[in-house]
Amino acid sequence: MRFFGADKDAQRVETLKNVPIFHGLSRKEILEVDELLHERVYEKEEIIFEEGDPGHGIFIVLSGKVRADPSHELLKTANLEFGPGELVGELSLFDEIPRTATVVAVEHTVAVALFQAEFFSLLTKNKRIGVKVLLEIARTLSRRARQLLLDQKHVPSL
Amino acid sequence: MRTFAQPGAVTLLAIILTTCLVLSLFQRMIWLVVPFLLALMLYYCLRPAVDALVVRGMRHETAAKSVWALLQLIAAAIVLAAALLVLAKAGTWQGGLDRYLAGGRSLLRKTTESLEKTIPLFERMSLGAQVDQHVQQFTDRFAEDNLLPITLQLLKWLPSLLLVPYIAYFMLNDSMRMKKYIIKSVPNAFFEKALLLFSRLDGSLQSYFQGLFLLTLLDTICLGLGLEVLGITNAMWLGLAAAVLAWIPYLGSVIGCILVVLVAATDFPEKTWMAYACMGLFLGVRLLDDFVFLPITIGRKLHVHPLLSVLMLFLGASVAGAAGLVLALPVFGVVAVIGETVVQVVTDRRLRARYRVARQLAASYQGIDAARSVANVPLRGGQ
Repeated sequence: MRFFGADKDAQRVETLKNVPIFHGLSRKEILEVDELLHERVYEKEEIIFEEGDPGHGIFIVLSGKVRADPSHELLKTANLEFGPGELVGELSLFDEIPRTATVVAVEHTVAVALFQAEFFSLLTKNKRIGVKVLLEIARTLSRRARQLLLDQKHVPSL
Repeated sequence: MRTFAQPGAVTLLAIILTTCLVLSLFQRMIWLVVPFLLALMLYYCLRPAVDALVVRGMRHETAAKSVWALLQLIAAAIVLAAALLVLAKAGTWQGGLDRYLAGGRSLLRKTTESLEKTIPLFERMSLGAQVDQHVQQFTDRFAEDNLLPITLQLLKWLPSLLLVPYIAYFMLNDSMRMKKYIIKSVPNAFFEKALLLFSRLDGSLQSYFQGLFLLTLLDTICLGLGLEVLGITNAMWLGLAAAVLAWIPYLGSVIGCILVVLVAATDFPEKTWMAYACMGLFLGVRLLDDFVFLPITIGRKLHVHPLLSVLMLFLGASVAGAAGLVLALPVFGVVAVIGETVVQVVTDRRLRARYRVARQLAASYQGIDAARSVANVPLRGGQ
């Protein structure tokens, strides 16, 4: 029995299909993952999370744009704006470390959050989906780490 | 893993007072609390089965429906078997009950006689005669005074107890959606804290109920084996009944012990020591429970200090009677988790400031949206 928004499934699948970490998932799998996602709407200049906050999960930007303001010198040199499909706060998905930057909405932004505990339950319960998502997050992490190591002015992990 | 620090003295006091208040409130709506609590127990028992089916590739909804359907079949089979048993043996049970009560009275008489022989003061007081008179009065008037009220209470409880499987089903099927729905109403500034709170509440309740069932299993095995060794009939069933009764702290254990002692006194009328051995066994298992099983099952997960547990049980009993005894620890666990989170939010200036700024931003953009809609300009976010 579906209580909430059964008719919005197709639209939702389309939106999430455009997120790179969900590229490899089928329609059915995206709907399973969507059960775990929490949608949040941020106004322009609203803080999404602050540097030093205990991190408990990642945020995936669906529409709008967010900017990271880190205090760390190395991270300051990078271009830290994230648009639709990009994720922020991915380091907190694996370890509850404090956030390494403050992330603020640059414009009216819609994002979905994937909470660490729920992501781990997905990995346990549905390994097939969990591994696909994990692999895509690992790719993002690896790409960002490489860019940071090579001193490219691009997005590092937060 | 504990991500929060232990609460301070004021927080702890507030948590204890809130727990008492909640227990007092729960006592007033006990007809709703009991089915909800039983449904919660059922939910945490069945959830591992649902998760196991999901791991094997079944969709969550299908898994929840399958497990619930299986439960209904098992419940129907049990009810049918119980009804057949009642029809077949109802006549002999009355005789059996009288026999066990007579066995208990005989044990009591022998014990008081032996006490009178050992301590002359008791003989002068005619302890045996007095105890016998009280027991006789109690048993004579028990059916007259209590049978009708008990039957009426059972009939009153039946409709709300029928709710249990349905509440459990919706918890199994829709708990995630309900959680998302509630989280949606939390302001952005407190969103991560709210998620963490839900996760901790879920963890605490799961640990409590799964711990309770593990404790019941361990109690059943220890009592059942002990009674089996002593040669008591239906040892495992008696062990199970006593272990389930122990869900009501202290009072349940006493009732369970009386039950087993009655059976021992009736099965072995000439061996008074057998009833005492049963009492000894009960005390032994009780000690094992309090110092070994409880800490490794419930206590370890709930992080409640033993002294605080005892204090909460007494407070619960004084505030809400028997219901308070049963509900004190789980309610305290939940209130403690909520209280700690609320204190964290209230004392975190950054979070509160972020919330205030977000509200101001939302209000100012609502004003802009209103002006745009009057001027027929498209709203932000393509609305």
